[in-house]
Amino acid sequence: MKKWSLLVCIVLSLALVSACSSGGNANTAPNSQGTGTSNANSNSNGSDTPAEVELRMMWWGDQERADITNQVVELFEAKYPHIDIIGEFAPSSGYWDKINTQLASGTAPDIFFLGGNVVDYAIKGVLLPLDEYVGNQLDLSDMDESMIQYGTVNDQLLHISAGANARGIVINKTMFEKANMEIPQDGWTWEEYAAIATEISDKLGDGVYGTYDFTYDGLDIYFKQHGQQLYNMDEQTIGFDQDMAMQWFSYWAELAEKGGVVTPEAAVSNPNEDISKNLMITSQVAMTLLPSNQLTSLQSLTTDELTMVQLPRGPKGTGVVFESSQGLSGYAKTEHPEEVALFISFFINDPEAARILGNNRGVPVTAANRDVLQAEASDVEKIIYDYTSRVSEATKTEPFAISYNLPGNAEFEKMAKTTIQEIGFGRKTVEEAVASFYANAQEIIANNVAQ
Amino acid sequence: MIKKSSNSLAREQNRTAYLFLTPWLIGFFCLTVGPMIASLYFSFTKYNLLNAPTWIGLGNYSKIFSEDETFRNSLLLTFKYVFFSVPLKLAFALIVAMILNKGLRGLGIYRTVYYLPSLLGGSIAIAIVWRQIFDGNGVVNDFLSWFGIKGPSWISHPDYIIHTIIMLTVWQFGSAMVIFLAGLKQVPTELYEASSIDGAGKIRQFFSITFPLLTPVLFFNLVMGIINSFQAFTPAFVIGDGRGGPLDATMFYTLYLYLKGFSFFDMGYASALAWIMLLVIGFLTAIVFTTQKYWVFYSDDQGGK
Repeated sequence: MKKWSLLVCIVLSLALVSACSSGGNANTAPNSQGTGTSNANSNSNGSDTPAEVELRMMWWGDQERADITNQVVELFEAKYPHIDIIGEFAPSSGYWDKINTQLASGTAPDIFFLGGNVVDYAIKGVLLPLDEYVGNQLDLSDMDESMIQYGTVNDQLLHISAGANARGIVINKTMFEKANMEIPQDGWTWEEYAAIATEISDKLGDGVYGTYDFTYDGLDIYFKQHGQQLYNMDEQTIGFDQDMAMQWFSYWAELAEKGGVVTPEAAVSNPNEDISKNLMITSQVAMTLLPSNQLTSLQSLTTDELTMVQLPRGPKGTGVVFESSQGLSGYAKTEHPEEVALFISFFINDPEAARILGNNRGVPVTAANRDVLQAEASDVEKIIYDYTSRVSEATKTEPFAISYNLPGNAEFEKMAKTTIQEIGFGRKTVEEAVASFYANAQEIIANNVAQ
Repeated sequence: MIKKSSNSLAREQNRTAYLFLTPWLIGFFCLTVGPMIASLYFSFTKYNLLNAPTWIGLGNYSKIFSEDETFRNSLLLTFKYVFFSVPLKLAFALIVAMILNKGLRGLGIYRTVYYLPSLLGGSIAIAIVWRQIFDGNGVVNDFLSWFGIKGPSWISHPDYIIHTIIMLTVWQFGSAMVIFLAGLKQVPTELYEASSIDGAGKIRQFFSITFPLLTPVLFFNLVMGIINSFQAFTPAFVIGDGRGGPLDATMFYTLYLYLKGFSFFDMGYASALAWIMLLVIGFLTAIVFTTQKYWVFYSDDQGGK
């Protein structure tokens, strides 16, 4: 009898141990499958039927983006029947936590989208270096040189931009007409911007504002206009001084005091970056800062007529460049790097795919696809192309370096936005708030660069 | 002979019991104890989630206690939340339970209706509905405007949003209520009859009979309420902006921990925060347990008297 119970004990503890380690096993299971297929693949030059490959891809966005992305996936699968792509998506708010968790547990998708925070992932070594596939699976011959450069971090090509845009001031023309005011033109200054914002909110009455507070979104642009930057990539330090930040924060504090800016409460319930809730669509905000690719969805939600003008100028110009809005990266531990490169190449080069994707993630990064889209552009898209070409023109005489978000971007964003609210809700003076903002920014960079 | 067989019977019963317990044991060791030990180790390291952790001893803990302002604020906010939501919820649950205990017709329906929010309340969908209700142009302000009151946006001002979250929690009084209701049914009716003959009024009856006999149930509800409230996450995550905003007014302790670990790449720090929370909850529960001998009344104890 005793023996029997001992046996049960052993069996149970064995079951326990194996159950505990099954997480690890699950990870290695596709591994063994993977080595098989990649072997078959290297042979595929000789044989006609390459082995089946399954890739997972993840992006953020709404249902509309999911639909068109899935269409492109189907197109790709039709062309390469041996590759099966499983797409997953999440709204942008939950996307990062999801991808971080999957990266941590080693179950990240083979292909995933990243935005301006690519540096955070690049320095942690989780991205697949794509250099060896360029010219083979990955065709970058028609891609803008500056975009290739953008995806190259520490001399490794880790990120392929899937769309470019330029930030600019979106103007609600209908509101300006209602207020009987002239529509602003490129080449204006920040003083003019403040005056116009105050005037239009005075004229159009209660609950209508001249501009959103874009202290955070315009931070790097303003710094560049003054010859500084958010983050100094080469020296891995903060790229601006405290006076600079002070100037920018107090510009907005003063403008808010005059009543030209969306109140902090309204900005909490209707944030600028949430297009579906943006107050411009209900004719409550006349001007705001947005990336050019957002104009299409914003215009689709309102009957007001919208347009885009360049940012008010600083001493060095507008500070705006044509920049990557988001792009694709491979997972460093993927079993099928070649297929990953093949898909990325298809995604940015295929004209049919470009037609389906349109400007959803920004203007195409290859010249050929830009021509494809421009030929069939809608009215809103024409405004976008017109705007982006003006930006490109301007950067020829007033060039600006591409800027990266600083390491620890998520924490920095949270910290910066809290600072803005501390000023907005009157909890701290601008001086106090900026002093702690500056100290915190330095600390976040130091913490995230260290490893 | 008899002894031996009873022994083996006990052993056999034990074996069967353990066999049935295995699924739970596996879950307990793999999903609870394992991760807890891992997080204890991580709390002594700098671990950015994607690279191997490096040992830094008590570095995280000393940083938390010496210079982390958000830690202090989030702990205070969570205490405030627990302090208001738990008593309110229990009082509400007790009142509704007393009313339902009057022997209404269709008691089952009422019980279900009041219990429903407890099932739904923790869900994302309900939190989103509450967002809409308490928004600047929401139902609550429409209602207030009938009386000429212009309400603020209850969810976008840092001073008010905590009240919205507390109300959402109090609204989920159902499970506490069902337990109270069961407790009320246990109170012998003779006691009421006897006391009313002695001339006790309703209020006197409540404080002299109902309440003392309910204290074990209250004790249970209090402990569970404190533990659950400390771990509140969903309401803050959904009604706030998911980042503790506006102005850290929804930065509950659990949310801060989550952000540190999964958004800000500082899992070592987050693990240290988790262990501090465990100690805080353990400490508070211990306090409640040591005070129980002064106010919790077990009728069984009185049997020997």
